[in-house]
Amino acid sequence: MAIRVKVLERPIEQVSYIRSTLSGLANTFRHMVDPHKVTMQYPEERWDLSPRWRGTHRMLTNETGKAKCVACGLCPTVCPANCIKLVPGEDEEGNRFPLIFEIDEFRCIFCGYCQEVCPEEAIHLGRHYENAEFSREAFVYDLERLTAQTHPVSELWDPADPKGE
Amino acid sequence: MSTATNDVKPEVKMVSVTIEGRTTSVPEGTTIIEAAKTVGVLIPHYCYHPGLPVAGVCRMCLVDVEKFPKLAPACATTVMEGQVVSVHSEKAREARKGVLEFLLINHPLDCPVCDQSGECELQDYTFQEGRAESRYEEPKRFNPVEDFGGDVLYVPNRCILCTRCVRFMGDVVEEPVLNVSERGDRAFIGKAEGHDLTDAWAGNVVDLCPVGALLSKDFLNKARAWELDRSASICTGCSQGCNVTVETRDNTVVRLKPRSNTAVNHFYLCEQGRLDYRWINRRDRLDQPKVRVDGEWRTVDWEDALDAAAAALAGKRVTVLASPNCSNETLFLAERMIARQGGSGVFRVMLGAEAPLRGVEDLSLRAERAANATGARLLGYADLAQGAPIVNANDVLLVLDDVLEGELPTALTGMMSSGAIVVHVGTTLPAVLEGRAQVALPTTNHTEEEGTFTNLRGRVQRFLQARTAPGLARPSWYVMSDLVERLGAGEGRYMASAVFDQLAATHASFAGLSYATLALRGLPVIDAAERDVLAPTVAV
Repeated sequence: MAIRVKVLERPIEQVSYIRSTLSGLANTFRHMVDPHKVTMQYPEERWDLSPRWRGTHRMLTNETGKAKCVACGLCPTVCPANCIKLVPGEDEEGNRFPLIFEIDEFRCIFCGYCQEVCPEEAIHLGRHYENAEFSREAFVYDLERLTAQTHPVSELWDPADPKGE
Repeated sequence: MSTATNDVKPEVKMVSVTIEGRTTSVPEGTTIIEAAKTVGVLIPHYCYHPGLPVAGVCRMCLVDVEKFPKLAPACATTVMEGQVVSVHSEKAREARKGVLEFLLINHPLDCPVCDQSGECELQDYTFQEGRAESRYEEPKRFNPVEDFGGDVLYVPNRCILCTRCVRFMGDVVEEPVLNVSERGDRAFIGKAEGHDLTDAWAGNVVDLCPVGALLSKDFLNKARAWELDRSASICTGCSQGCNVTVETRDNTVVRLKPRSNTAVNHFYLCEQGRLDYRWINRRDRLDQPKVRVDGEWRTVDWEDALDAAAAALAGKRVTVLASPNCSNETLFLAERMIARQGGSGVFRVMLGAEAPLRGVEDLSLRAERAANATGARLLGYADLAQGAPIVNANDVLLVLDDVLEGELPTALTGMMSSGAIVVHVGTTLPAVLEGRAQVALPTTNHTEEEGTFTNLRGRVQRFLQARTAPGLARPSWYVMSDLVERLGAGEGRYMASAVFDQLAATHASFAGLSYATLALRGLPVIDAAERDVLAPTVAV
């Protein structure tokens, strides 16, 4: 049995597509000449990040290029996501130094507590957002990787200046 | 030596005092600081330690005593009838705040790298009642780190000169190698020229130090205090049975600390007991039950392994070679097996030099370097040094966690070469048994199971589990219980406490004891007539 479709008789003004097409094109041409652009030309153009943006970590180094970390163990203690692995040991000069310092960026919730608690101002969250990798393992940043990062670091919220002015 | 408050003789006159609004009755002559402990008030202090003579140098324990013109040091003031003490009055708090500020003048702000951080009394009390900020602007005094020999490192910058270490070495070890050198802000703890902290008990200065000035080299930079899990245990280094706290990090024992027990070790632990913990973490453990089939080791299920062991043991005389570090429970179950099957039990104990702590009565690193040789003797095991049992070719030799390392005595090699079937129940499979044993059942060591040891004075003390067992290893009392049940020598028990209850019901000397009554301080076995068994003279 053939399927029968009921076709309504409508006036031509209502069923013609020409009017809608023209109105759509008019909108397009209006945006072509409009100076207010919405699309950003990534990667040539980048977002301006807030100074308190919290991205993946970076470990700051001292003048000799060594990580500032003294393996005090406060960041793994404060970390609510349990993403920091720290095994303390000694460096060549007998100073306290992390033998293993690893941050699992997948587990990290970017709360910034590690940066806030760090007494040496060593571990920081980063002001960047490009983290793509080819493997899952690469998201566990070791000490070498953390010290090699060069992106700017995020600023802590200052209670005396809550709006960052 | 000041004595702890709980050793009260009935004829002592009691006085009642009110501390922080709480009234208590303590024996005459008790100091305010000890009286406060009985009502649950901890008066901040540095130089005071219950095991050391009172010095009164730190001025941290100043308290407000009614009708006293000045604040009184709680450690050096004895209580008087009707005295009213206020620990947290405005005046006392202000004084202690001042003391703390002075202590912090030269104390470096290096808590992040200090090993004591997290268990530091200076940190705790500063947090509790110190100033939030320092008013000191001049440069701090600096002295280099000094190696005190032994296991001790001295960091003079952190020292608050409480002199606990000086008094410990002088009055308890009775080897006064430490002193306070120089004066004023230049003062530091000096060490006598040409002497090191090499005494067997010198390592206790690290525990006594309230701050991070004296550190253990062994523990240096290994872990933070707050990361450690702690369990009550007993040292297996010798037959003294010192109470210890096993501290683990990620299931690895990183340090042993003395646990206070005035009946055994007071507050101390010797160097031997403190540093000999690495064997606990050894990785080459036997972790799966194995049975020899056609000359080859085969890893099998527990049920099959236990059946194989029971089949090997069934109906035969059994000679048990037990480690004197086995718990009372394990030794008892093996003894049940001997009682059923016939045979005998022996143990082999290492001997070493005795090292007494002179200032404390009856505390020494004992010659017998095993925790439970006394328990083994009480349960009818004989010392192998006093003669080897005769093992026939159709007997079974049950090796119960004897590691069989080093040079084996001829008595032992004689037992091994008798042709008897060998069943091994232990933590590791010794190399000599590799080609010899028929069944190997993996068990846990004393930090991985629960049980009791009997020390050389016959005090039965509990130890608790601190780590998880490797692989499929089971507690040794559990394995023995399964074996005993299979051999028809008794019912299986599934709690260490139930095994101990059975032991208490079977052996007169353990009668009346249970895990609940032993608690964590232990109790002596009852029979004084067994003194001869308990403390045999050991020639070294």
